[in-house]
Amino acid sequence: MKRIILIIILLGTTAFAKEAKPEVKPQPPVVEAKSEAVLPQELKVGVKGMVCAFCAQGIEKNFLKQPEVSKVEVSLENKYVKLKFKEGKTLAKDKIASILKEAGYESVFGE
Amino acid sequence: MRLIPLLYLVLTSLTVSAHPVSYKDALGIMSYNSTQMNEILLTYSLNYNYAIGHTYIREKNSEFYIPRFNWLAKRWNNEDSQGNLYLSAGSGVEKYNNTTSNVRLVEVVADWESRKYYTYLEHLYMLRDNKDNPLWQQRDDNHTKLRLGFAPFLADYNDLNIWLITQWTQHNTENIEATQFMRFYMKNVLWEVGADFNGGFAFNFMIHI
Repeated sequence: MKRIILIIILLGTTAFAKEAKPEVKPQPPVVEAKSEAVLPQELKVGVKGMVCAFCAQGIEKNFLKQPEVSKVEVSLENKYVKLKFKEGKTLAKDKIASILKEAGYESVFGE
Repeated sequence: MRLIPLLYLVLTSLTVSAHPVSYKDALGIMSYNSTQMNEILLTYSLNYNYAIGHTYIREKNSEFYIPRFNWLAKRWNNEDSQGNLYLSAGSGVEKYNNTTSNVRLVEVVADWESRKYYTYLEHLYMLRDNKDNPLWQQRDDNHTKLRLGFAPFLADYNDLNIWLITQWTQHNTENIEATQFMRFYMKNVLWEVGADFNGGFAFNFMIHI
């Protein structure tokens, strides 16, 4: 009888232990650190039709209006704009394409 | 009150063959000046397709005040070049002596440029009700302008860009006038100085704010 009671107690303890397992919290700091590391600090975007500095300043101006952007570099020679983002911030490709379209240009993203 | 003529002098000592529509919320000030005429064009771009504007022209003792609407009908964004087709229309007044009469304008502009070459064609048609100006009898008024240019060296975004441009203009059936320009621009400021073969001068200016 004692053996039976002991087995029941042991099984019950194991069952509770199994139920408690899913409640173990994930490690938020690790996840956060990982996602921050994924955000690019800068991004080069190709721009079709950007041949004139006088016209391209509209691109610079529109990107600098974005709170996520800290610096914009324009290269007519290499036909791109390089966006530098504030720490922990970035701009989605759709948003970048939309800003370039509002300035009258077409974006080209690398693979 | 002195500020207005001063501003006018500053702007008219400046004028340019320009993009009448720019990027969204851009304010453009353009001024085209020669010994025959002065023009100031102010534009506000609602987006990259449409702009509202106001043209002031002074020519042959007449002054024109014409609110206008500019439309980028088509843009070709290519790998190494850009082409544009703009259409504009406006309706305003012509002031001559103490009389005021109506005037309407339609303008077509086509341009294509790369970092090395530049072409520009403009045709401006004005329909004037004024019959009184003896210097300007033509009521169906046509201005045509063709410009071809090249950059002697390729400059990048933060550099001073220099272009050599030849312009041919014809006003109605008058003789074609050729003017040689040097164009300079850096970021949002562009200016041109020119001279024709009859001793005339030209000065153009453009800024986007």
